[in-house]
Amino acid sequence: MSSLRLPIETDHLVLRPFERGDLDAVRRYHTLSSVQRYVERPTRYEEDVAAALAVMRSQVELHRPGETLTLAMVRRGDALLVGHVSLKWSDATAGQGELRFAIDPAQSGKGYLTQALTAMIDLAFDHFRIHRLMVRCDGRSHHSIKLMQKLGMRLEAHYREHALFQGEWDEELHFAMLDREWRPTAKVQDLPMRVRVA
Amino acid sequence: MALHPDFPLQTERLRLRPFTRGDVDGVFAYRGREDVARYLFDPPLSRDECALAIQQRATQTGFFEEGDRIVLAVETAHDGKLVGEVSLIWRSVEARQGELGWIFHPDHHGRGYATEATNALLDLGFGPADMHRIFARCDARNEPSWRLMERLGMRREAHFREHGLFKGLWDEEFYYAILRDEWLSLRHV
Repeated sequence: MSSLRLPIETDHLVLRPFERGDLDAVRRYHTLSSVQRYVERPTRYEEDVAAALAVMRSQVELHRPGETLTLAMVRRGDALLVGHVSLKWSDATAGQGELRFAIDPAQSGKGYLTQALTAMIDLAFDHFRIHRLMVRCDGRSHHSIKLMQKLGMRLEAHYREHALFQGEWDEELHFAMLDREWRPTAKVQDLPMRVRVA
Repeated sequence: MALHPDFPLQTERLRLRPFTRGDVDGVFAYRGREDVARYLFDPPLSRDECALAIQQRATQTGFFEEGDRIVLAVETAHDGKLVGEVSLIWRSVEARQGELGWIFHPDHHGRGYATEATNALLDLGFGPADMHRIFARCDARNEPSWRLMERLGMRREAHFREHGLFKGLWDEEFYYAILRDEWLSLRHV
């Protein structure tokens, strides 16, 4: 699974690997309590963010199952870092993948995540030949739920109190999509150019 | 919290007790069958494999640490015939989670034995084992299994499609669960 071509461009974003200089930009949104509310590994302090960035900077390809590809969402024009998206290749034999994301709340509601996740779903199904993609989110995270529905993902699981999360009973949703469910709605491919006849 | 219940557990028509060496033929009678193994992780077992399984189960009678399981033989109270088995696994100590399982001999289906026996394990899980949530899963095509879960008052929490391979084919799986509060309200109406 090589020959991945980066960066990936969408209408308003450039998706590229993280760089050392992204620390301040990542810290700006990642330490916010509204972002921390739903993340699995807390990054409340500067050193946590630095460690998280070091991990994200190393996640640049998917060679083996278990690996993750993480890309920064950078706005075209002013190069503002607005969030990140990642794709984990969780299982090879059954072709399973998991998407995760975070966005600066100040930049949400502008369609950036929709663009970035659409590009990641294309990448997962077309380039990495993933069979099924899933996304986990908290039952109270209404923005995420809306987004998953907008992308056409199916609600597969609604766990109630199946684990403790940040000190209280959780409510966890799983959304999923199969490759054949995505392709029919994918953009229509341009017809190849052909020489004009007659 | 370690738990070593007193056996047998007695229900209206059944006795739930640890397996003994004398159960090999009784277990082979159903675990050896193709139709019984269809939705189990194991293929049909040989008689020797049944003997080995029973050897393991003889010690699976209590909870000491996470991952421990209680596996019990289910026999009819009136004639002591082995009709199947039920299990409860301690999946998470911190979040007090348990997983319920059962296998019954097809000759004894349709009499409510599975419902009666699994209900006794729910009582054990939410009672002495102090669990918060008990879940069970089954293949989506295994209708008798999920019907049983609905009879037990469990809710369908998940419907996974093609999230893994099962015996060489894409699987489709249901998860059902019941919370302690839900169990309490069913028991004390």
